[in-house]
Amino acid sequence: MSLVVDGVVKRFGAVTALDGLSFEAPTGQVFGFLGANGAGKTTTMRIALGVIQPDAGAITWDGRSTLDLPRAVFGYLPEERGLYPRMRVLDQLVFFAGLHGVPADQARRRAREWLERLRIPELADRPAEELSKGNQQKIQFLAAVLHDPEVLLMDEPFTGLDPVNASLLREAFLELRERGRTLVFSTHQMETVEAMCESVAIIDRGRLVVAGELREVKRAARGRALRIGFETAGETAWLDGLDGVRIVRPGVDEVELALDPSLEPDDVLAAALARGLSVRRFEVLEPSLEQLFIERVGRPAGDEASLAPTRAEASADAERR
Amino acid sequence: MSRREPLLPNAARVAAREYRERVRSRLFVVSTVILALIAGTIALGPLVIRLAERTTVQTITVVADEPAVKSLALGSLDSILNLSPSGTEPPGRVRPYEIQAGSTADEEVAAVEAGTIAGTLLVERTESGGLSFVFHTAGQRGSTTSQLVGFAALGTAILDWQSSGELDPGAGAFRVPGFDIVARSGATEGGRPVDPTVAASRSFLAIAFVVLIFITLVIYGMWVAAGVATEKSSRVMELLVSAASPEQLLVGKVVGLGAAGLTQYAAILAPAGVILVIQELLAVVIMGPAAGETVSLAGLTPGLLLAFLGYFVLGFAFYAVIYAAAGSLVSRQEDLQVVALPLSLLSMAGYLIAIVSISGGFDILARIASFVPFWSPFVMLARVMVSRVEPWELAISFGLLAASVVVAAVVAVRVYRAGILLYGQRPGLRLFIAAARRGD
Repeated sequence: MSLVVDGVVKRFGAVTALDGLSFEAPTGQVFGFLGANGAGKTTTMRIALGVIQPDAGAITWDGRSTLDLPRAVFGYLPEERGLYPRMRVLDQLVFFAGLHGVPADQARRRAREWLERLRIPELADRPAEELSKGNQQKIQFLAAVLHDPEVLLMDEPFTGLDPVNASLLREAFLELRERGRTLVFSTHQMETVEAMCESVAIIDRGRLVVAGELREVKRAARGRALRIGFETAGETAWLDGLDGVRIVRPGVDEVELALDPSLEPDDVLAAALARGLSVRRFEVLEPSLEQLFIERVGRPAGDEASLAPTRAEASADAERR
Repeated sequence: MSRREPLLPNAARVAAREYRERVRSRLFVVSTVILALIAGTIALGPLVIRLAERTTVQTITVVADEPAVKSLALGSLDSILNLSPSGTEPPGRVRPYEIQAGSTADEEVAAVEAGTIAGTLLVERTESGGLSFVFHTAGQRGSTTSQLVGFAALGTAILDWQSSGELDPGAGAFRVPGFDIVARSGATEGGRPVDPTVAASRSFLAIAFVVLIFITLVIYGMWVAAGVATEKSSRVMELLVSAASPEQLLVGKVVGLGAAGLTQYAAILAPAGVILVIQELLAVVIMGPAAGETVSLAGLTPGLLLAFLGYFVLGFAFYAVIYAAAGSLVSRQEDLQVVALPLSLLSMAGYLIAIVSISGGFDILARIASFVPFWSPFVMLARVMVSRVEPWELAISFGLLAASVVVAAVVAVRVYRAGILLYGQRPGLRLFIAAARRGD
């Protein structure tokens, strides 16, 4: 039993948003769905929910097309946050749960429990327009989970949350996973994915780049990572000009580097010593997800991507393969 | 392929939310109170008109072939209609009727129909030597004026009999003259002319009903469009479409806001209805026992109420689904007017045709417009109330409107389905057609 995306194609006019996308999110796991802006994550989620139709391919849950399943199987936290501005929080939660078939009294009880758990019980009777953005986001999360869906699809759930609220949301994720729910979320925060996800899929311009268990995906990274620190501050900029080296995490006296497969960590150390620098720290790291993402996609996750490759790019891609 | 989901219960849940939020809103309460006050004031209109008419001089003409008879009729009408209540003529008293000699029967009747004179009395000599009177009135058959003209006709006949006896002693016994009243109004009930009192009431009610239907379609239609646009601009739509189908959302919104509209109707019309019902009593209190009959709810039949309700429900459904589709194409509230304006202009055209047709204008245009779904809720309703409408015409009008609701709903759902997830595009007819073709 798993959420299977199978050869999904979606075009919007001349733009191909999804180009034969396939991957699998196993049941009962927290699944990271990664891609630059415009890569096709939201479109994939909307197709899974049945909000839009694919031109080809299908998304199935437990072997059945998601279109054959009741909507209540899924919970959805959209990227664009929105609630009825003048409606009371509790009324909104009861309304949305009601659309998924939860009786009003049960929905009211669950809503109060969740509000307690997220430490905002006092917001129950307030209109949404009076809430801070972070709190509105938490209410939207509740609207997505109150009917206890089997699969929770969340588009950038941590965006805009302060560290305390992000931590509360992470706790809620883990609790839902403990209860056997499947959580799929997209984010640009690679540390969060590394900390929470068992499996990931990285997509770029509507196509799958890599998917699988996080451990396996990272193991498949070709390049290596390195952390190097110097005695004197401000001595790191030269590393950026070194062939096969890219600064992943800049710093004043210590940086994290991604190395091309052709380059050995010792080569960097040798270059530093040759410049007469005093090396204080030198550590070979397991490649981070962010590093892997940049290696495979060619740019950080927060960057914009065009929806589809041009014809020239597509043929170049094909040749590379 | 998309999910096959029944409309219920989600459409009912959406409708309940829309209804609750709408009737609780401050704008709804304030507008209801203001409109109720306006409706109450309009309901007092007939009474105010009659008060004003008390000081208005009405013209009545006489048409007769024989100059002597004409002269007698003029004298009788003047002495009876302008008789002072006190029996003596107080100084400065305004005589309520101006009695004039008319030209030809056709011209005078036409003048009555045009409303330039209050009535004309046609006098003819019968074969038996007596007189026959026909009073064409712009007012009501049983009105005080009609009754007084009847007395004057009798008086004229007596004087004529007397004068003919003086000239010809063998003229014979007095013959009671024929006296008929023709109210020059066109309202029919199943093809038969209706009572003038009812006809007058219907003209008044027709205007009230057409105005109400217009308010329904424009204001309540805008509620729907604005509601969809708000859901879209506040981005709550993203959450909604994952929980309910576009059909459930659209139907729920239309039904919920339609029910809120009916609630407002009831709140507005209840006080106005009470005023109309007690108007006779008010007239007597204000103008004394001789106030006579007034324009009231006499013309309101269950059939007309049913026609009004039918056109309200179908007309609102027709316009509301189109407004919902239009609202779904708008990303910002500010753009709402851009998509709503063409619909408002369309309904405005129907409203104007209906209003003009109530007073007898736009005959052919009104006939055609009463079958056009965009206009039939106004125009056919007006025609049904004030003129002759065959049952088959009504059936075709309702049938076309009902069929158009289905077609509009299918197209609107396609536009809505595509439109609610479109952001940043310029709303307009081109986008509407593109969304309808895509429907995804």
